[in-house]
Amino acid sequence: MAHSIVWHVHDDDELLATHLQELRRGTVVLACLLMLDRPDYGYALLDRLTRAGLAVDANTLYPLLRRLEKQGLVTSDWNTEESRPRKFYRTSDRGAALAAALSRDWDELDTVLRSLKGAS
Amino acid sequence: MTTPATTNTLTDRYVAAVLRHLPRSRRSGSQRSEDQRPDIDIERELRASIADAVDDRVEAGADRAEAEFAVLTELGDPARLAAGYADRPLQLIGPALYLDYTRLLTALLVTIVPAVAVAVGLVQGLRGAGALDLIGDTLGAALTTAAHLVCWTTLLFATIERVAGRVTGGAAGRRTPARRWTPDALPEPPTRRARYGELIIYTVAMVLFTTLILLSPVISTETDAHGVPIGVFAPWLWQTGFVYAFIALVTLNLAVAYAKHYARWSVPLAVAGTLVEIACPIALLWLAAGDRVLNPGFTQAAAWPQSATTWINTALIVVSALTIVFAVIDGIARATRR
Repeated sequence: MAHSIVWHVHDDDELLATHLQELRRGTVVLACLLMLDRPDYGYALLDRLTRAGLAVDANTLYPLLRRLEKQGLVTSDWNTEESRPRKFYRTSDRGAALAAALSRDWDELDTVLRSLKGAS
Repeated sequence: MTTPATTNTLTDRYVAAVLRHLPRSRRSGSQRSEDQRPDIDIERELRASIADAVDDRVEAGADRAEAEFAVLTELGDPARLAAGYADRPLQLIGPALYLDYTRLLTALLVTIVPAVAVAVGLVQGLRGAGALDLIGDTLGAALTTAAHLVCWTTLLFATIERVAGRVTGGAAGRRTPARRWTPDALPEPPTRRARYGELIIYTVAMVLFTTLILLSPVISTETDAHGVPIGVFAPWLWQTGFVYAFIALVTLNLAVAYAKHYARWSVPLAVAGTLVEIACPIALLWLAAGDRVLNPGFTQAAAWPQSATTWINTALIVVSALTIVFAVIDGIARATRR
């Protein structure tokens, strides 16, 4: 019996981790688009995201930035003035518009969830 | 890798491993500047990112080698990272195609394998082969057929997965659909299921047809004086290799049927599709008109009257002509519906 309870706790942790990951997946794009309002390079953005409490894996973020660039949501520029050349990304007008739309959706979701919690 | 003087550090090896899994941009003849060549660009950025992360750890008091090791561990399998950069799917057949794949494969396996087994078993039985030979040959033929079916069907769907994915925005697009979905986005709105059923039947028929043609020289109701089977189709077809060209055309037809099902209608696809569709009947028409379909040796051995050959050739010509007409009409009808 005790054995099965231990397994249950373990399963719950895993279940929570899976669902949290699902819930947060889309927020990385929104957070990037909002943060890159100020131009920044990959590693610094990773650092800022982590500090802001939106920890994301480096191997997820770097390909994501290139994908956003390909989609025209961010633009990039190589900064070769410093000793280490870095690729700086900045949210484009299109990206800003998308971020605004995503934010609106986020707010609507928040409202809906609050009313759901209030109703129950 | 372009690191002549330096030693091969872990980072060098990691970056090289990532780049190996990326499509290379051509070094010469390209109009692009250095910055826009994807692999060079990725290499420079990845090196900077790794160096930044290592510096950060060193500043926090870590040993440089240990920091490098930890940073690379965090980045993970280079092949996976490269797939992320190239937006390649990390699956052979994704959820979008999986059901179509299993349905077609099941349909093929439950029809073609028993058909081949029965055909081989029957012929061996008629020839008076021993029980062991009969069972062995039948099982062998069934296994070979099954292996071929699984292999080619999987290859077909893995190809669709990769080609269709490139068109519709890559692997990430399918994992997390960014666009709002409307029924307009459906390739074949309400009748898609029914059409897929047709496609399966068509595939099964084509594979069965091809299998029987290929087996016809060895599986026949007639044998010569030495007990060697006399094929029903003209040996000329095999001598000239025409039969393989014909089967290639049949395969191409099948590919067109799948392209029509999965790809959006476009003028090049429609024109190519119609050309491929009429190529088979034209070839058949030409064969029948020159009496190159049936094996005279077979009709003699089976004691068929001469009129039978004439009738079969005439029927093939009529059916081929009708097929050509219908393919053209269908092509025009599809074009005007857009």
